Amino acid sequence: MTANFRSLLRHETILAVLLVLVLGALATQSDRFFTTANLLNQGRLMAEVGLVALVMTFVIVTGGIDLSVGSILGLTAILLGVFWQNLGMPLPVAMVLAIIAGGIGGLVNGLIITRFKVPPLIATLATLALYRGLAEGISQARSVRGYPEWFYVLGQGDVWGVPTQLWILGALVIVAGVILGLTTFGRATYATGANETGARFSGIGVDRAKLLIYTASGLVAGLAGVIFVSRVSTTRSDMGTGLELDVITAVVLGGTSIFGGRGTIIGTVLGLILMQALKNGLALSGVKGDGTIVVIGLVLILAIVASNIFSRDGEG
Amino acid sequence: MSASLSTAPRAAPAMRPWKRIAAYGQEFILLGAILALCIVVGIVNPRFLGANNLTNIFAGNAYIAVAAIGMSLVIISGHIDVAVGSLIGVLATVSGLLAVNGYPIWLAWLAPIVIGVIVNAGVGSLVAYLRIPSIVVTLGMLSILKGGLISITSGAWITNLPENYLIAQFRLFGIPSPVWFMVILTALVALWMRYSAFGRTIYAIGGNVEAARVAGIRVERSTVLVFAIHGAFAGIAAVLFATQLQVIQSTVPPNLELTVITASVVGGVSILGGTGTVIGSTLAAILFAAIASSLIFLNVSAYWLRSVQGLLILITVLADMARRRRLR
Amino acid sequence: MMLKKSIALALGLGLGVSMCSGVAFAATWTGGDDLPTNPLACDGTAAPAVAKPYDGGEPTNAPDRKGKPIKVVDVPKLIGIGYFNATSKGIADAAKELGNVEAKTDGPTQANIDQQISFIDNYITSGVDGILFAANDPVAIAPVLKKALAAGINVVGYDANSEPNARQWFVNQAEFNGIGKALVDNMAKEIGEDGSFAIVTSTFTTPNQARWISEMAAYQEKCHPKMKWLETVEAQEDNVLSFNQATTLINKHGADLKGIFGMTSVATPASAEAVTQAGQCGKVAVIGLATPNAMKPYVEKDCVKSVVLWNPVDLGYAAMQVLRATADGDLKAGATSVKAGKLGELQVINGSEILLGAPYTFTKENIKDFDF
Repeated sequence: MTANFRSLLRHETILAVLLVLVLGALATQSDRFFTTANLLNQGRLMAEVGLVALVMTFVIVTGGIDLSVGSILGLTAILLGVFWQNLGMPLPVAMVLAIIAGGIGGLVNGLIITRFKVPPLIATLATLALYRGLAEGISQARSVRGYPEWFYVLGQGDVWGVPTQLWILGALVIVAGVILGLTTFGRATYATGANETGARFSGIGVDRAKLLIYTASGLVAGLAGVIFVSRVSTTRSDMGTGLELDVITAVVLGGTSIFGGRGTIIGTVLGLILMQALKNGLALSGVKGDGTIVVIGLVLILAIVASNIFSRDGEG
Repeated sequence: MSASLSTAPRAAPAMRPWKRIAAYGQEFILLGAILALCIVVGIVNPRFLGANNLTNIFAGNAYIAVAAIGMSLVIISGHIDVAVGSLIGVLATVSGLLAVNGYPIWLAWLAPIVIGVIVNAGVGSLVAYLRIPSIVVTLGMLSILKGGLISITSGAWITNLPENYLIAQFRLFGIPSPVWFMVILTALVALWMRYSAFGRTIYAIGGNVEAARVAGIRVERSTVLVFAIHGAFAGIAAVLFATQLQVIQSTVPPNLELTVITASVVGGVSILGGTGTVIGSTLAAILFAAIASSLIFLNVSAYWLRSVQGLLILITVLADMARRRRLR
Repeated sequence: MMLKKSIALALGLGLGVSMCSGVAFAATWTGGDDLPTNPLACDGTAAPAVAKPYDGGEPTNAPDRKGKPIKVVDVPKLIGIGYFNATSKGIADAAKELGNVEAKTDGPTQANIDQQISFIDNYITSGVDGILFAANDPVAIAPVLKKALAAGINVVGYDANSEPNARQWFVNQAEFNGIGKALVDNMAKEIGEDGSFAIVTSTFTTPNQARWISEMAAYQEKCHPKMKWLETVEAQEDNVLSFNQATTLINKHGADLKGIFGMTSVATPASAEAVTQAGQCGKVAVIGLATPNAMKPYVEKDCVKSVVLWNPVDLGYAAMQVLRATADGDLKAGATSVKAGKLGELQVINGSEILLGAPYTFTKENIKDFDF
C-alpha cells in the first residue's frame, strides 16, 4: 500500500511538473492565454468532462470502465426537453427527473455488471449504443428550445464572477476527493480494484460499492447533460458523442491505472487541466485542431511511459 | 497451464457431446439469429432473400469481419485496440494515394498491410515491453492517427482510381472478392488458432499470463506478434474498404473501432481474454449487416437502429454469461 | 437444450419487440422537420419578395476597420470533407484578391456542436476581427456567436444559419424552396409524373437536410402529386454506409424504385455507385446535391443526368466578401444588395440574408467546365 502510494505521488509530481511546463510554454506563445477571463472560460468549457471524470476515477479504480457516459448525457438532455415541453412539467422538476433518469441508466449498467457478471467494457459498450439509440428514438430528431432565462444561469451565467458550473465542479472535486481518499468507502474502492476476490473475502461489499459507483456515474453524466443543455440552450440527440474518450483520457493521464487499484482525484484534476490547457493554449498559439489532437495523443502515451519508467521500482 | 487451456473450445473433445456444442454456443446462437432474421424478413418481403441482397449483406461488412479477425486475436490475448478505425482510415488513404500516383497496383495493395504490421508492432512493443495498458496506447494512437491524417490530406477525396485497382469489386464465380477474403481468412485463422502452437500461445497468454510465462512462453514477443498480425488484417481490411467504391474519403470512418470490437465480442470473444474463436466474430459482422439491411426492409425508422444494436449486444452477452454459468 | 432454446427465444423476442416498437413509431416519418414550408409556384414564377426589416445582430464597440488589414477565421461544420474544402478555397481566394485579409480555416473533425463552440470560443479569445461559420446547430451556436459580437467581432454565416440575431449576415447558397423545386422537377423529368423515389440523407438532425426534405415534400405534393415517396434513410456523411443504404433500397423495392435523391455531397456519388454496381443505370435515376468532381464518372457514363448544387467555392468567396464589406461599414442594416467582387451585385433577402443565386444544375454538357 505504501509503495503504491509513493508511486502514485510520483506520477502526480511528474504530471504537476509537466503541467507547469506546459502552462509556461503556452503563456509565452500567446499573451491571451494566461488571463483570468480565458482561464475562467476554459473552466466553463471543461466542467462537463470534469464532472464525469470525477466519478470515472472511482469506476476505473475499481478496475471497471464506463463507456456509456456520453450517451447518458445525450439521453438526459433529450429527456429534460421531453419532460419539460411534451409532458408539461415545471422545469426544476424536469431537471431533477432527467438527472435521476441518468442515475437509472447508471444503475442499469451496475446491475448488468454485478448481477450478471458481464465485463464492464462490454456492458457499457452495449448501453452506449442502447442509450444513444433511445435518445435518437425518443427525440425523433426534434430539438427542444426556448427555456426561461433563469435556466441559463447554470450553463452560461456566473456566480461571484466565476462560471456557475465551475462552482459545482469545485464542490464535487472536494466531495469526491474526500470520499476516495479518506473514507471507508474509498478504501473499499481501492481494495476492489486491487484484488476483487481478496476484497470479497475480507468482507467488503464489493457489489454494493460497484452498484453505487456506476449509479453515481450515471447521475453526474445526467447533471453534466443538464448543464450542457443550459450552456448551449437547446437539446440534440447527438450531444456528448465521444465524451467518454475525453473523460477516460483525462483520468488515465491523471495516473489512474486502467487495471484498477490506483488513482487519485487530484491526479484526475491535473490530467483534466492539462488536457484543456493544451486544447486552448495550442489553439491560441495558432495550432489547428487536427494538430492539437495529435499532441494530446502523444502527451497521453509519453506521460504514461514516463510514469511507468520512473515508478517501475515502486511497483515491485 | 492446463487450467488456462481448458477454457478454449479446442479442449472440447474431452467433454461430453452436448458440452462440445455448448462450447461453440455463441457461433450457433449467431447462426440461428442470422437464419431466424432471414426467415422472418424473407416472409415479410421475399426480396430480402434475393441473390443481390444476400450478396450485399455478405460483401458489405466483409472488411469489418476481416478487421475483427485481428481484433479477436488481440482480445483473446487479453488486450484491446481502440485505434483500429483510425488505422484503417490511414491505410486506406495510403493505398489510394499510391494507386492514383502511378505506383504499381500490387504495391498499393501490399503497402497498407506492411505499414499496418509496422505500426501495430510498435503499439505491441509499447504494450509488451514498456507495460503500458493497451487501451492507453491505442487511445493515444487513435488521436495521433486521426489528427495526423487530416493534417496531411485535409480530407481531400481521392478520385480517378484505376479500374484494375478496385479489388473489392472483382468477382470470382459470381461472388464478390470481399466474401472470398472473409471466408478464406476466417477459415485459415480458425484452423491455425486451433491447431498451431502459436494459436495455443495466444489463448494461454489471455487465459493466465503468469501461468503462460511459467510454461515457458515468451509473452512479450508473442504479444508484439499478435499486434503485428492484427495490423496485417487491418491492412487487408483497409484495402477492401478503399476499393469498394470509386472514391476514397481519406478521413477516419466514424465509430469503425466500436463496430469491429462489437463484432469480436458479440462473436463470443471474451473480453477477459483466453477464449473465443474468429468464426464467431465473422458471423457477428454478417449479422450486423443483415440487421442494418432488414431495418430498411421492415420499414423500421432508422432512429431506432442504435437501440436495436445495443439491445442485441446486451442479449448475446447475457445469453453467453448464462451459458458459461451452466458449463461450470 | 432447454437453455439454448430459451436463449434463442430471448434473442428472437428481443429483436421482435424492439423492431415492432420501431415500426409503431415509424408511421409518419419522412426525415423532414416540422417547420412551415413555402413551396414555389410550379411554373417557376418567382414569389413576390416580402420586404423584411433587418433582423441580424450588431457587434458592440467594433473598432473602425475600414480598409484596414483584418484577421478572419472560418469555422465550418467540420473539416476534412470535399464540400468545406471548396468553401475554404473560396474564402482563401477572396482574401487573396482583397489583399487586406488574413484568413484561415479551422474546425472540428466531426460535425459536433460542442467542439465547434469551443473552436469559436478560442478564436474569440485569441482576438480575431471576423468570424465566418457554418452552424452545426442554429440555436446551440448562438450564445458563443453573441459573445463574439459582444467582443466587437464581425460575424457572418454561410451554408448553415444560426439564429438571426446571433450574427450580422448570412450568405444563403440558395433558398430551401428553390433547392426543393430544382430537385423534384429534375426527378419528375427523368422518372415521369407517376414514378416513385426514395431519399438517402445524412442524419435527421442535420437542419439543412431536414429543411430541404420538407420543402421537397411540400413542392412534390403541390406540383407533382402523383409521384410516390417511398422512404428516407440515414447514412451520416459516410461513403460506404451511403452505398450500402442505397444498395439495400434498390434490392428492397426492385422495379418499384425509379429514382434516388442524394441529400449530401457524400450520399449522391455513393448512390450513383450503388446504381452502377447493381447494373441499374438508366433504370434507377440518381439526382442530388453533389460536387461535380465526384460525379463526373457517373455523368460521363450517362448513369446520372443531372446534379444540383450551388458552387461552394463561390459560396466561400461571397461569405468572405460580405464579411469584408461588413467590417468596412459598406454593408449596413437596411441595404438591399451588396457588391461581392467578381460575383457582382448580390441580393439581400429575408431581412439579413444574402442570396448567392439560384441552384445550378450540372449536366453532361457543362460538368467538364467545373473543377471542385
